[in-house]
Amino acid sequence: MKKIIFLFLSVLFFPKNLLAQDCNITFTGVILDKGTNIPLEYSTIYIENIGEGTVSDERGFFEIKNICPAEYHVKISHIGCHSEEYFIKIEKDTLLKIYLSHHSELLDEVVIHGSHEDNSTESSQTVSRADIASESNKNLSDILENISGVSVLKNGSGISKPVVHGLFGNRVAVMNNGITQTGQQWGNDHAPEIDPFVADHLSVVKGASALAYGGNSLGSVVLVETDNIQEDPHLHGEVNYTLQSNGWGHTLNTAVEKNGKLAAWRLTGTLKRQGDNRAPNYFLTNTGKQENNIALQIEKQFHPKWKTDFYYSLFNTKIGILLGSHIGNLTDLQEAIGRSEPFSIEDNFSYDIGSPRQEVTHHLVKVETKYLMDDEKIIKFKYGGQLNNRKEFDIRRGSSSDRPSLNLSLFSHHGEAAYNGLVGEKIFLKAGVQFDMIDNGNIPGTGVSPLIPNYRSYQTSTYWIVQNDQAEEWLFEFGGRFSLKQLTVKRLTQTIPREVEVLDHLFQNYALSTGFRWRKNDFFKTNFNIGYLLRAPEVNELYSFGLHQGVSGIEEGNQNMDVEKSLKALWSLDFRIRNKFFVQALGYFQNIQDYIFLEPQEEFRLTIRGAFPVYIYKQTDANIAGVDLLLKYEPQQNLNFIAKYALVRGYDLTDDIGLVNIPSDNIFSSMTYTFKDQEKWKNNFFTINGRYVFQQKRIIVPSQDFLFPPDDYFLLGLQVGTNYEWHESSLKISLRAENLLNSTYRDYLNRLRYFADENGINVSLNLNYRF
Amino acid sequence: MKNLKYIFIINILFSVLFLNSCKDDDVIDDDVEELITTVTYTLTPTSGDVVTLSFSDVDGDGGDDPIVTGGTLQANMNYTGTLDLRNDAVEPGESITEEIEEEDLDHQFFFSTAGGIDLTVAYNDQDSQGNPLGLATNLVAGAPSTGTLKVILRHKPEKAESGVSTGDITNAGGETDIEVTFDIDIQ
Repeated sequence: MKKIIFLFLSVLFFPKNLLAQDCNITFTGVILDKGTNIPLEYSTIYIENIGEGTVSDERGFFEIKNICPAEYHVKISHIGCHSEEYFIKIEKDTLLKIYLSHHSELLDEVVIHGSHEDNSTESSQTVSRADIASESNKNLSDILENISGVSVLKNGSGISKPVVHGLFGNRVAVMNNGITQTGQQWGNDHAPEIDPFVADHLSVVKGASALAYGGNSLGSVVLVETDNIQEDPHLHGEVNYTLQSNGWGHTLNTAVEKNGKLAAWRLTGTLKRQGDNRAPNYFLTNTGKQENNIALQIEKQFHPKWKTDFYYSLFNTKIGILLGSHIGNLTDLQEAIGRSEPFSIEDNFSYDIGSPRQEVTHHLVKVETKYLMDDEKIIKFKYGGQLNNRKEFDIRRGSSSDRPSLNLSLFSHHGEAAYNGLVGEKIFLKAGVQFDMIDNGNIPGTGVSPLIPNYRSYQTSTYWIVQNDQAEEWLFEFGGRFSLKQLTVKRLTQTIPREVEVLDHLFQNYALSTGFRWRKNDFFKTNFNIGYLLRAPEVNELYSFGLHQGVSGIEEGNQNMDVEKSLKALWSLDFRIRNKFFVQALGYFQNIQDYIFLEPQEEFRLTIRGAFPVYIYKQTDANIAGVDLLLKYEPQQNLNFIAKYALVRGYDLTDDIGLVNIPSDNIFSSMTYTFKDQEKWKNNFFTINGRYVFQQKRIIVPSQDFLFPPDDYFLLGLQVGTNYEWHESSLKISLRAENLLNSTYRDYLNRLRYFADENGINVSLNLNYRF
Repeated sequence: MKNLKYIFIINILFSVLFLNSCKDDDVIDDDVEELITTVTYTLTPTSGDVVTLSFSDVDGDGGDDPIVTGGTLQANMNYTGTLDLRNDAVEPGESITEEIEEEDLDHQFFFSTAGGIDLTVAYNDQDSQGNPLGLATNLVAGAPSTGTLKVILRHKPEKAESGVSTGDITNAGGETDIEVTFDIDIQ
């Protein structure tokens, strides 16, 4: 893991000392910040093999003289950055341009890859490797919450999914290593089945249309990206351990990699064990969690122009759901809602996970082969296969508690051929064809009529994006996508005698998008993007039928649902003032015709278990608009202040009321101070942060929800850390406290708000050893 | 732009190829064995006609509405009540009552009246730990009146909580397996 993607390296050879075989080589370089191109003064450059080092000047420049031609491990560090290591072959005088990420929160997806094919007019933001590792005890979605404009929809602290610009689930595509994550994404209580630790970085593309990413996104895409394995023939890796006090959770991650003779490989693994969480006043019984994940990445360069990647990952989790949040019927629900503390709370902490719980296993296999043709044209072929098994266990009569109430097996294939290259002299084309197949089945034996029927879907798509090449100041982009989707559903009729019925749907979807990026200089950049796209309704929106604990009621689909039509415009502005004050502002507006949502019905459904709330999928027209803001002030290199603000408004235009599940406005701010390095103790930092979440005040019609949104809240956090470095290894130690004041609060986007308080104080210790 | 044309043709080919390839070999599970579809409450007076209250919803949640049958009781009369639970959604239908008898510790029925009816219900059975169960009951119909009788079956109630053993549902918790309401007329 020595090469971090935030660091882009280019080697230039000076032709002069071609014959230098003796030890008089000069190694020079310039160290810049990746996101802003600001030279990083006082960076330390250290060649580990020979124990020589130096410090960069105010232009970021350094020079090491009189070294011999050899292979070197070079470590580069700078205050407030994650130190980076490189494996470099030095044979003659060498000039390196090295990027560190001092302002990692300002990075976007385009800058990270720095390659031609990833150029885009869309806006994106990322979370870096160092932040992923230090928060590896959390879920993918909770880590993404670090990005302004991203919120998290939860069902207790164990299950969370990202909400980007007010949309989630089927409307936000999650790309795991280039493959659209295909799980049971429809459920509010289903989290993406991805271990964040496999990622080098996480990005959120806040786009108007995700043309190349396929899926059913209504604009925004979450990218979970690994990086290439470094060309270092030695074994390197990291071991990461986190202990958290709330739930006494242990997280152990390891990653090892080597550029072996046959191929380059990397193996990552994660183990998580966590017991009952604790709200300030009581234990949240049965909220434990277990996770076992493994991933293998293999890269093989068959030829300088031909490279193949193989990737396999297994994600396996078992998550307990708060017992008191499981509803019997409307009376139970109303009783549970009215209580000061939930039913079935135990006085003791436990690691046991009983019912209700979820057990999910997800396999992903990916093979990608890339061929570099002449004049930088690239042809790529990609296959991704996924197998997802989801079991949900409810409280049931007798011994059947060990039998799942929901047991779904989803098998999917994705095939893709893509082309990137110049067409003529000035037009850069990205185009591709994609084929997707999904087969979802209920595994018999649950004894419960399934909420989601068996179905199969096939989709073929083509997309193309054209850009002007050599875009220095202005980049223009225009693209389109067309897809044909066929869905076949098989289910039992709802009337007696029950018979199997087969229903077919065919959807034609298209998308069009255009935009520009204007980059005056390093100090000013603006993006504008507008897109129109259609999204076919998913199977849950068409055919759900039955009690769904995720919405606390009976959920019914509508098979006559039309496609959603979205028009979204986005404008972003990045600028900085004198390398001290940085601003990223983004505003968006989205109009969705035939927006699909779950409407609570006024009448309750009478069943033998009593009355139940009923939710039916309906369509309306909706407007969603919002602003994401990031400000950073760095008066000096060892002190910075960050403020993030996100605001979203969503309206149902038919009834002129607020949309449900729209995130509350929120402000996050932090101050980080980095102390002077003490010999081997480097990057000693201290961060204090606060998060204020406003009350969601736009849900005012009582029939929209069981309860009005909870009150506003403020959370205080603290983090201290240091980095101990010796020889070729380093140990990073950090201590983080969340909800330091042990505040009692409830969050609007957590379904458990009806039943229980959020977690109280949590202190976690993270140790990260890299070798 | 030539490339685009080919891409489009490939796309159409793919679609045609796969649109017709759907197989019909899926197993569909219609074995909804946990369902309780029918509740029958048989009230036998010390003298006179037997009254049968019933709630039946054979097709489960949704579909056709449930059929609820109330009853008329004699004023100032004692009744013995017997509850019977069945799943008639499967062929042949099966009794759920036996299952509840076997797991008596995990179940308890609760009875409540509303609408000003003069009717009291008392437990006439116990689980293996001496707490009430409610499959067997004694009812006393008082003065002529009308109202409703609600029968609730809780799964995994907290029987030790205060009031639960006397039939007060307030602190019982657990999950509702049955909640049915019958119209009653005392004449």
